[in-house]
Amino acid sequence: MALAGRLRTRVRRFLARPGTVDLSRYSDLLKEVEWREDKLRELTDEELTEAAAALRDKARAETKKDKGPFDDGDLVELCAVGREAGRRALDERAHDVQLLGTMGLLAGHVVEMATGEGKTLSGALAAAGYALAGRHVHVLSVNDYLARRDAEWMGPVYDLLGVSVGWVSQNSTHEERKEAYGKDVTYGAVSEVGFDVLRDRLVTNVDDRAQRAPDVALVDEADSVLVDEARVPLVMAGSTETDPGDPEVAKIVAGLRPGAHYEQDEDGRNAWLTQAGARIVERSLGEGVDLYTEEHSDRLAAVNVALHAHALLTRDVDYIVRDGKVALINSSRGRIALLQRWPDGLQAAVEAKEGVAASERGQVLDSITVQSMIGRYQRVCGMTGTAVAVAETLREFYELEVAVVPPDKECVREDEEDRVYVDFESKEAAIVELIVEKHKTGQPILVGTLDVAESERLAKLLAKADVECVVLNARNDAEEAAIVREAGAKGAVTVSTQMAGRGTDIRLGGSNGSHEEVAELGGLYVLATGHYPSSRLDDQLRGRAGRQGDPGGSVVFASLADDIVAQYAPEAEPGDEPDDEGRLTDATSQRYVDHAQRVAEGVNLEIHRNTWRYTRLIEKQREILLEYRDEVLTGDAAAELLEERAAKRYKELVKAAGEDAVKAVARQIVLRHLDKRWTEHLEFVADVRETIHLRALAKETPIDEFHRACIPAFKQIRADVADAAVETFKEIEVGEGGTVDLDASGLRKPSSTWTYLVHDNPFDSDAEQALQKVRAMVKKVKK
Amino acid sequence: MLSAFRSALATPDLRRKILFTLGIVIAYRIGATLPSPGVSYPNVQKCVADFENQGVYQLLSLFSGGALLKLSVFALGIMPYITASIIIQLLTVVIPRFEQLKKEGQSGQNKLTQYTRYLTVALAILQATGIVAMADRGQLFGNCAEKVIPDSTVWTLAIVVIVMTAGTSLIMWLGELITERGIGNGMSLLIFVNIAARIPAEGGNILSSHGGVVFGVICVVGLVIIASVIFVEQGQRRIPVQYAKRMIGRRMYGGTSTYLPLKVNQAGVIPVIFASSLLYLPDLISRLVGNGSAGWQRFIATYLVDQGNPVHILAYFALIIFFTYFYITITFNVNERADEMKKFGGFIPGIRPGRPTSEYLSHVLSRITLPGSIYLGIVAILPNFFLSLTGSGQNQNFPFGGTAVLIMVGVGLDTVKQIESQLMQRNYEGFLR
Repeated sequence: MALAGRLRTRVRRFLARPGTVDLSRYSDLLKEVEWREDKLRELTDEELTEAAAALRDKARAETKKDKGPFDDGDLVELCAVGREAGRRALDERAHDVQLLGTMGLLAGHVVEMATGEGKTLSGALAAAGYALAGRHVHVLSVNDYLARRDAEWMGPVYDLLGVSVGWVSQNSTHEERKEAYGKDVTYGAVSEVGFDVLRDRLVTNVDDRAQRAPDVALVDEADSVLVDEARVPLVMAGSTETDPGDPEVAKIVAGLRPGAHYEQDEDGRNAWLTQAGARIVERSLGEGVDLYTEEHSDRLAAVNVALHAHALLTRDVDYIVRDGKVALINSSRGRIALLQRWPDGLQAAVEAKEGVAASERGQVLDSITVQSMIGRYQRVCGMTGTAVAVAETLREFYELEVAVVPPDKECVREDEEDRVYVDFESKEAAIVELIVEKHKTGQPILVGTLDVAESERLAKLLAKADVECVVLNARNDAEEAAIVREAGAKGAVTVSTQMAGRGTDIRLGGSNGSHEEVAELGGLYVLATGHYPSSRLDDQLRGRAGRQGDPGGSVVFASLADDIVAQYAPEAEPGDEPDDEGRLTDATSQRYVDHAQRVAEGVNLEIHRNTWRYTRLIEKQREILLEYRDEVLTGDAAAELLEERAAKRYKELVKAAGEDAVKAVARQIVLRHLDKRWTEHLEFVADVRETIHLRALAKETPIDEFHRACIPAFKQIRADVADAAVETFKEIEVGEGGTVDLDASGLRKPSSTWTYLVHDNPFDSDAEQALQKVRAMVKKVKK
Repeated sequence: MLSAFRSALATPDLRRKILFTLGIVIAYRIGATLPSPGVSYPNVQKCVADFENQGVYQLLSLFSGGALLKLSVFALGIMPYITASIIIQLLTVVIPRFEQLKKEGQSGQNKLTQYTRYLTVALAILQATGIVAMADRGQLFGNCAEKVIPDSTVWTLAIVVIVMTAGTSLIMWLGELITERGIGNGMSLLIFVNIAARIPAEGGNILSSHGGVVFGVICVVGLVIIASVIFVEQGQRRIPVQYAKRMIGRRMYGGTSTYLPLKVNQAGVIPVIFASSLLYLPDLISRLVGNGSAGWQRFIATYLVDQGNPVHILAYFALIIFFTYFYITITFNVNERADEMKKFGGFIPGIRPGRPTSEYLSHVLSRITLPGSIYLGIVAILPNFFLSLTGSGQNQNFPFGGTAVLIMVGVGLDTVKQIESQLMQRNYEGFLR
């Protein structure tokens, strides 16, 4: 059996299947690392730091860019020194598999390590390794909290290795950021680092830049960041011309009835007005309003957005209202996404719907996807508990290979088969029954629910059944650490959303109880109330149990009425009669449940691919324009341009204000026009993108046509900017003492800027449309 | 145009793709002329010379670039693959498991592609066996006396079948390679090559039998035809469309780039193929009934089979116009289009969504289809006027009209557009303005 497995791995490796990078070369080195251990123990702390410094000098002498930064000998030295540093600073001696992970990271792979194996230390040693090789490392975490925790936790290790470390968070000031990015290793949430990229792109003074040129990125929870979040663009907005969300429209829309006045599709992605609904809205808006004309299209957009907010977004599922603010819930993590906003007025519409104060809104100044942000780095590596499932995606989009590090201790968790029920009620009844039964034995239970509302409903049901439980969801995320600490205690029942599914370390016995006692009871029991839209999320939740060889169990409940099944496999029907409790044990039902999850994964991959295909060109254009912007920012390109185009005016101004002042003014003028023109270009691109799928009707390839429309438009930018800059240059007035007031000339900088992530595209993608068409066709044929 | 070509070749990445595609095309042509083992090449030559292309072979032969009748290694061409993809497409509607796979995105699609390949091999074995059997019995070339496969033991025949099947698998791979690493869609490009490959031979025929002047005139006429086909194929009616789902400041570009395009020739080449197949039916029936001298059979022989006859031409023309309308009605569902636009917040300015929109669309569509169908009809019947040059019964052989030119121009335009799109991404001027 073992032989067959090994043979299979060999064959897969030979075929270069994803997820099969050979690490055996590195495991051979582990013995040498161990030999060095005793000698290193005798060193003083200073001598240890010196040993690390020796590596740094050696690496500097021979710079190897493409290969890993170290040859085998240095790798052994680094791991040995790192292990010793970890032992001294944290009292944590890195296991062999952790070092293996470090070496995989240094080789530029995405390393899969089982949950609870100590990824943080592996990552820190690898980051230190890159830093010692003279590289500058960004360790990208999923959120601010983790970034800061890891940076401070690993700080002593870095100190011993003589590597400087810093972190950035949402609340860091500009000076703090600059300092943190100046360190060898910088920890930060991926969104925060991305926002700094955006901010740096729009500076009008060279000194305002926070980051250095990107070099090495080490991505924590790589599958989440590189795959789940990759389709979410980071956006920088400026309040240029704002119009508030329309409460009047929200009121009108709230009075509409589903079915009669508006309709929505089964999978809850689109809602639209019926004829009758449109007439009511028109009448309410005033006499003679025809929504469907060019001049009223803004009104129509407001109505559509309000309808979307009214019909398709549900409080406590898609968002919660807290402190008088609408906060989005990140569907793949179950957490509040502080920085996320819905795009294009939807945020304002939801705020109007809930009657809370409208937050600031404005124009998109610039944006970048996580994917292209990662693409800026010279070298990327990552680590996660679930990488193999996305190995193909990582290869396609990032050219990254996955290396699997075996667990230190074999996982003995028992994963039970799915329990499939015919409808929601019988599923919920069975869940409660199972929890009550397990709870009697004292085994701690972690229940993973799909959304906030469900977690709270389940908590109520459990209270009725006299089971005491703790709820962990986006609403009480402040208590997260305390709840997680006790989730493994004897008799604990924790009802959570996706929040507990990633990164949390649940110790058996809790903070004071006995590990052995709980282990004897069977360890942590994980119960999922439904399948998540990807098997990786399921696996992450399961991974909370059975850490480091602990016992544990897991089961997933599903029903044919679950949202995921209704949305992605609407044709699902039980293959057999359910038993008295409504449970289905036939293979057909199980197949539909699995099928629905695979469809969900396929759709998400397609959305990712489309985002990538359609943003690639725009990112490239941005790069080209930024090159020119850099020229203007750091040199006198602007002054030269204006001197050539408006020589007379230029001489006049130089006479009045002096050469340097004019140069500075010219620079500002061109920079502002550049930024403004780019904003307009982004609007144009968004417009084209929306209708480009219609080109398929003329047998044209939408993506090619997209390029055909966007490339000439881009070529126009430089010329337009030059014209506009000359125009402004001729109009500006020189004040007393050679000062020039640019703002008065009507060319304003955005009054304030802020950054946010655009939450998923809430509207349909091309892929979704195509799928729907197929579905409709099939249905028609079947009838 | 030429300078654009030069810049395409000057872009290393693009040059590699173009050269790669050319290399595969050459390999493909070599295979198409290489006779299968066991086939007597001189005998085949003699038979082909006597043999007049007839009815059902015309299209097959056209698509295989003459390889079929040469019994070459690539005799079957890509037809088995095309048939297999159509069958699998249809099966996704019937078989639930296929339907599920299709919905599972990339991974499911990969499995379906794999099934298509298996089916291609199966179909290839079937077809190869059929052709070899016919050749062995001397039926492939009508009444040709020569033995095409001199040694008709089971082993030899089996080897021919295996070679032809392997040839088809190879073509399938070549096509996929072009799609993946070359330029354009591999399958359509190979069809294009097959059709284009016949032009020199046909041209040579005309030159040798009618002299240089006629040849020159034909060349000029051909170029004019191709140019006008290109012109019409690019004709579009652009209906402005707005999507009102995003709130943005001011729409300054509204309408210029957001539109719903309707092609003048929305139906493509399909109506022509339908019409010619339908027109061939009476002839087939009459032959099946027996060598007829009955009145209706004589009628068919005079008016329908003779491609130079005005009745034939007129019927052909009328059928094409009918099928164009028919085909557009079944493939372009205006209600679905209007519904989809409504769902995603789109509308045609000045026209309300839903029913009014679908009525408007169908109005525009029927208007634009009239010139489109007449154009299709004219292009299709053109070769019938040149029968004296190409010999009767060979209307598909005239490379400047009918299906051949429509397919060639279609694939050509697609490929050029793809090259151009890649070029544009590298900031060059395009081929087409």
